[in-house]
Amino acid sequence: MNYPVWEPPMLGGGLIIGIIAVLHIFVSHFAVGGGLFLPLTERKAYRENNPALLEYVKSHTKFFVLVVLVFGAVSGAGIWWSIGLVNPEATATLIHVFVWGWAIEWVFFIVEIAAAFIYYYGWDRMDAKTHLTVGWIYFVSAWMSLFVINGILAFMLTPGAWLESRSFAAAFFNPSMLPSCVVRTAVSVALAGVYGLVTAAAIRDVALRMEVVRYAAKWVLAGTFVIPLGGVWYIATLPQMAREISMGAAPAVTIFAGLSIFFSLLVVLFTFFGPYEHPRYFNLTSAFVIAIMALSTTAVTEWVREAVRKPYIIYDYMYANTLRLDDVARVRQKGILRSALWVRSHEVDPANPARSGEDIFRVQCALCHTVDGYNSIRFAVKGWSRQMIDYQLLHLNELKGFMPPFIGTEEERAALVKWLEELNPQPRTLEPSYPGEKARAAPQAGPGGAQR
Amino acid sequence: MNLVIPGPVPVPLPAPAWLLQLLLVFTFILHLLPMNLLMGGAAMLAVSSYVGRNNPHHRELTRRASRLMPPVVAFSITLGVAPLLFLQLLYGQLFYTSSVLMAWAWLAVILLLMLGYYGIYWFSMQQEELGTRGFWVILVTAIIFLHIMMIFVQNMSLLERPQDFYSEFMARSVGAYLGSLDALTLARFFHMLVASFAVAGLGVALVSGVWKGEAPEFAAWARRYGVKWFLAWTGVQFLAGIWFLLEQPTGIRARFLGGDRLATALLALAIALAVLAMLAASRSLAASCFAIVGTISLMAVIRHLVRLERLRSYFDAHTLPVEGQWVVFGIFAVLLVAGLATVGWMLYKFFRAASAPTASA
Repeated sequence: MNYPVWEPPMLGGGLIIGIIAVLHIFVSHFAVGGGLFLPLTERKAYRENNPALLEYVKSHTKFFVLVVLVFGAVSGAGIWWSIGLVNPEATATLIHVFVWGWAIEWVFFIVEIAAAFIYYYGWDRMDAKTHLTVGWIYFVSAWMSLFVINGILAFMLTPGAWLESRSFAAAFFNPSMLPSCVVRTAVSVALAGVYGLVTAAAIRDVALRMEVVRYAAKWVLAGTFVIPLGGVWYIATLPQMAREISMGAAPAVTIFAGLSIFFSLLVVLFTFFGPYEHPRYFNLTSAFVIAIMALSTTAVTEWVREAVRKPYIIYDYMYANTLRLDDVARVRQKGILRSALWVRSHEVDPANPARSGEDIFRVQCALCHTVDGYNSIRFAVKGWSRQMIDYQLLHLNELKGFMPPFIGTEEERAALVKWLEELNPQPRTLEPSYPGEKARAAPQAGPGGAQR
Repeated sequence: MNLVIPGPVPVPLPAPAWLLQLLLVFTFILHLLPMNLLMGGAAMLAVSSYVGRNNPHHRELTRRASRLMPPVVAFSITLGVAPLLFLQLLYGQLFYTSSVLMAWAWLAVILLLMLGYYGIYWFSMQQEELGTRGFWVILVTAIIFLHIMMIFVQNMSLLERPQDFYSEFMARSVGAYLGSLDALTLARFFHMLVASFAVAGLGVALVSGVWKGEAPEFAAWARRYGVKWFLAWTGVQFLAGIWFLLEQPTGIRARFLGGDRLATALLALAIALAVLAMLAASRSLAASCFAIVGTISLMAVIRHLVRLERLRSYFDAHTLPVEGQWVVFGIFAVLLVAGLATVGWMLYKFFRAASAPTASA
């Protein structure tokens, strides 16, 4: 409302963020877990006096650097870029609340990048003890950056006492921050194992491959053992409606939550009966199968985490369409068109109300809905009569708990109804089933149907 | 003119605007150093990769300098995070609007950055395998970074023209703005580009000192070559800089030409340091580097003053409410010092370490 709305066709802004975010999360958790995997495995090689294992760690470092430093770092910037484009108001709010948190994360990021390069270039240059120390510095700084960003992410779903106090400490140490941190750390460990399986499967020496494959499988199993424990704790801290959405109230979200458990179980079963029990038969294809299942788990879980936050972008503070709860009464009275800055006209055009309706859709709905693509509004209202659309808009948040209420004047609602109605010009089949509305609707439904 | 600027979020700034501006300019200077080395370095590598087909010195320069590029890219990105953060905090109302209006181009930065970064790694890790095709890899990579620079220049320029926001919004679908090729924006772009070429030349001359032990003859050549490159592009910069100054709106130009003592003095000092850097280049590289870092720093300050001036009628960050989060700021400051000390310690250990293999022993 405060900013112009970018409407990427078909995908919509939300899905663009989602795609970038899922890929980033899949790599950035490896950046943390892999940071633990490297020095621990290096230390194991020294303790066991195993030069072959050391060579493996060295080659794994190169893989790590290429994946983490390039894709991880750039896709992280990608999330920042995309949230700023899709939801500038929420991004600006987060930056105002957490700028020093981000600045602290930036410090850890600098140390992390420097340590990664020095660890990588230092393999044949530094003594073992110093090299290991650099590895530990990498891990600590990488984990600390996870710790900081996790607090900010968790804040969006459970802002907790910040809603009253507006203090940084309340915002950062919010109710779901700690359990979320435990889950993410466990995911990092598991993903370190998943990526370890990929590089281990490529080892030519059979004995070493079996040893490292089994070793990496233990990482996956250890991580996935902790995830459900942390997960239960995490779920317990969520707002009631968020829990309900994921447990039956919104079928799509429930299905995705179920898929998250299903894919996680697949990862565990494949890892246990594959690389852990039968490391001899484990190959690169099997490693990629596990990696794809792990990526699928990441994708559906993150999708659920985003979905349960609806109808908010910052829980109990800002709706997904960037309208603050504090502003609702004012905007309702003043009107959405007069409150929005980036519209073609601040009044409903009596000659062409549908045009105004399109503007209203853009500022109030387009952050979640596309016209024809992901979460298509044309499809959502297909077959609906004008009365049905109007009724839905009037009771939006009651009928669909994961949606914000429609905010605007009656005239604006009518304009939006008009535009939505014109999206599907074919004859309508669904009529409202409530008698009062039907009776009221009847006199207006003539051959022109859509005219008010 | 229909002036539309989004309102501020109802959350106060977590520190006074002057402090945030100081951090914005300071961290921008930190970003400029590796960013110049990256852009100019990619261009230099493209030239050396082509000339190196028949010239062993250029071939050697390509081989050695390309290995240094991955960390340069990493630090260009990493050190770019902080200034963008403070920019969003102080000028978010303008920055988000300009970014959204050019959303497709702005988002393309991420894809281009990914391609450019992998291009650098590909070129530096697989030079033998690539052979003469390496030239094409680094050329495309350099062109990619050139585009990123152009997109940044376009966004930062649009940000300073809030009076154009609404007309651009009405002119096309949101996100489709690709930029303006007006003289001021082009002059700004060339000013940045030429600066990056010059700084990269000085970078090559500086790093030749590291190669002296292994290949003294080549290192001496690299130093001469780097200095020549630096001098030539700094010479060009005087023309590009004058063009950029002349393209500024009259009021701003006048301030830097005597109308405002501080602005004029800053510009004069920046130019004097650049001249000093040129004079010192063949005698003392250290002095030349110090002088050019001084020029870059002053130019970053001048750039900020120009921004303030251009936005004067539309926006003033000092009017935003402030509620200092001093404890967290203190933690940041302490961690920054500790973090830089840690990086310093690691670098010290790295360079001090014998080149003989020990970790794998």
